[in-house]
Amino acid sequence: MEGLKRKLSESILDKFSMDFLRNQVLKNAYGNDDTVIARLDPRALLVWYLFFAIAPWFSDNLIFLAACFFLVAATTLLARVAGLVLFLFGIGVFAQTGYLFLVSLFFGGNAQTILPLLVLTLKVAAVSLASITVFSGLDPDRLSNGLMWFGCPERLSFSISYAYRMLPMLMEEFQNVLLSYRLRGRAPDTETFAGKIKNLIYQVKVIIHAFYPLMLNTAKRSRTTVEALELKGYRYAAVNKEVKRMKLASLHMTYDDFLFLAVSVFWIAAAVLLNTLV
Amino acid sequence: MEQTGNIIEIRNLTFTYPGAETPVLKDISLDVERGDFLAVVGNNGCGKSTLCKVLNGLIPHFIMGDRQGSVRVDGVETLETDIGELARKAGYVYQDFENQIVRPTVLDEASYACMNYAMQDYLERGEKALEQCGLSGREKDYVWQLSGGQTHLLALAGAVSLQPEILILDEPIAQLDPAHADRIYQVLRELNEKYGKTIIVIEHHTEYIAEYCRHVLLLKDGHAEWKLPAGEALARVEELRSCNIYPPQVTMAAYELRGRGNLKCPGRLPSTLEEGKKAFEGLVFHPDVSWAHTRNRGTRMAAFEDVSVSYRAVKGEPRKIFEHLNLEIRKGEKIAIVGSNGAGKSTLMKLMTGLLKPREGRVLLKEQDIRDTKPEALSQIVSLVYQNPEDMFIKDSVEADIAFAMKERQVPGWQERTAELLERFRLTELKDRDGRLLSGGQMRRASLAVGVALNPEILLLDEPTANLDIATRREIMRTLNEMKDITDTVLIATHDMQLVCEWAERILVLCGGRVIADGSRNEIFGNDEVRRRAGIRPPEIFTMGQLLTPDAFCYTVEEFADSFGDAEGLGHAGLAGQAEAG
Repeated sequence: MEGLKRKLSESILDKFSMDFLRNQVLKNAYGNDDTVIARLDPRALLVWYLFFAIAPWFSDNLIFLAACFFLVAATTLLARVAGLVLFLFGIGVFAQTGYLFLVSLFFGGNAQTILPLLVLTLKVAAVSLASITVFSGLDPDRLSNGLMWFGCPERLSFSISYAYRMLPMLMEEFQNVLLSYRLRGRAPDTETFAGKIKNLIYQVKVIIHAFYPLMLNTAKRSRTTVEALELKGYRYAAVNKEVKRMKLASLHMTYDDFLFLAVSVFWIAAAVLLNTLV
Repeated sequence: MEQTGNIIEIRNLTFTYPGAETPVLKDISLDVERGDFLAVVGNNGCGKSTLCKVLNGLIPHFIMGDRQGSVRVDGVETLETDIGELARKAGYVYQDFENQIVRPTVLDEASYACMNYAMQDYLERGEKALEQCGLSGREKDYVWQLSGGQTHLLALAGAVSLQPEILILDEPIAQLDPAHADRIYQVLRELNEKYGKTIIVIEHHTEYIAEYCRHVLLLKDGHAEWKLPAGEALARVEELRSCNIYPPQVTMAAYELRGRGNLKCPGRLPSTLEEGKKAFEGLVFHPDVSWAHTRNRGTRMAAFEDVSVSYRAVKGEPRKIFEHLNLEIRKGEKIAIVGSNGAGKSTLMKLMTGLLKPREGRVLLKEQDIRDTKPEALSQIVSLVYQNPEDMFIKDSVEADIAFAMKERQVPGWQERTAELLERFRLTELKDRDGRLLSGGQMRRASLAVGVALNPEILLLDEPTANLDIATRREIMRTLNEMKDITDTVLIATHDMQLVCEWAERILVLCGGRVIADGSRNEIFGNDEVRRRAGIRPPEIFTMGQLLTPDAFCYTVEEFADSFGDAEGLGHAGLAGQAEAG
């Protein structure tokens, strides 16, 4: 217990260091471009996602939900999602429903209460994992192309891929600014329990404060970027239908995409069939 | 197909930024021949960048303002066409080139402009541009995986992909180590000679101008003073110096020697090593100054014992930076850490601040293992000034930034000390400005003031002269020399060999995660093997001296002038040499 308390109150910046965070984010964005999922056509994946993001909400059938869950769990594994994202997913699901189970046990519930809760948990989990597969497994650039094909505005898709380009730079800069605060500021003493709480508040405050210089630096940077975009003909492209067609020409439905969709359909169909038999 | 004549014709160009009182460019008339390699020089704020933006059409199409006169680029009046048309005639690479890269992967970036202008073969064009810029084989890489030099080449490729006749580069090598800088200029030379592009560079490094450029244009207060062949232009020492431009050291040395009456130089002054060799041929070498440094034996301030470090990689195995590094740093030492990009210079500094913990081994500060010490606690002993000064500014004024650490720690008399530091670093007039909005040199001075605010015993400076023009670099160098009495023990990680030679008392050479050399400047620069392995290049004047005689170790123009020739050797140094031999 003592150990746990120490762990919890230790500096979030130390244990959950920016370096680690940065690594995880980058891993998630750039580290898995060679997975099965990343190679799929973004359009196929978006259609696939549309089903798994909506269908589970309208079903209370345990078999169907379990089938969905196992399928998206498998795709999440295939997408090789970074550990941090999965960890956050775990926390998220627990925060949504897991605690309800504990509360119901506390108020005299029993195993009977598990079932409805399990249904809800499965729903949330299946939809979350489907989102993780698509948005984390697919590289943002391909995702934005996919969105554009479905008629999302050019600007949105440019923003996504520009963010994708800027992310490592911003993270590094943020890290440096945080370090400036850290090295020059003075963190509260962490000897006492109150001190630890104060320290935690201090750290959160520093993180918030660090955004201000980051934004100013970015604003400064963007002067060049805006001019460069102008020279690169960004404005021409925005109004030119031909450019959009050229961009989307890189999207190809392949055998793999159909296979992926077919396996998903087959799996769900099998679950439905099993359900009618039972 | 090959056309001759002028590709750029400017007549009586005057430009005023909106809201400005006086014009930036005043009555400029200029012709640039097709296929020229032109360097534009001039002091800060003389309108160099503005002139370039006039050529690529950003002025007047994107940046409004009052423009008079005529500008014809490749036969087209810029006012009468649009940016898209001009972008295909004149490509532009910014000084802060990483900000002009907007796409995540290399090929994507190189072909982006072509795609936007709806060229069907945009991918082939991108590939061709990458090939022309020496980036073949990196097509699939993410832009952040490239080194600084490669990133610059990519920015260049992005401009080249449209196959413009003119390429304009704003200070292409300001941020690069010598090896990368050479690479850039070799690529530019190839684009110039093989593909017939007209190249215009804004450049402070006159050594590179002497080596690569054909003509030099001097801008002074928005006016074009002259355009001359490079050698002739660089020999105009006094005129250049009055504009804060430093001619190549070889030229300076010849100028100095001629001034002392030790060198007869009937023609123009030499500007390259080749020319220098001929001009200085007859001089006699007088070794007079001893540059042997006595090794400091002060108390041990910091030590690395068997330190190994690796970084988490986004993909694959962790990257090893250090393997069993051993190092001692003693009180009062002025150490320069040199080595190519990625050799671990910044890592070494981060280890000392406690920001980074070694995987194995120990880092000691004042004989204390710092593994379990928080960086906050160490900041009284060690202070780190980042390479990018912007990251040092966390408050909205220079004064608040300098005061921040002292105020937080309730240092007695922090108000007085802040005022004192502002004065010392010549920032008093700027104290209410936001640090980010200062000029390069001012920003650097402010970051140094922030770094020494807590009066640290060890000061770590990461590339303090990167990104500065030569005149500002000199100023920072002077500041660093003045600081020698404030902070005792100073480590500087740098590519700037001039700084190393004029400031450092001990030089550490990092290469492949190990210290491959550690010693005085004579020991380092005199060692061919070390120089070659670590890719370091001594200042031009040192190489000049070595070319004349291997015994010469001259690091500054003054030392060179002191060591070569004397009053008696005037004009007949060769004879004097014979007399001595006889």
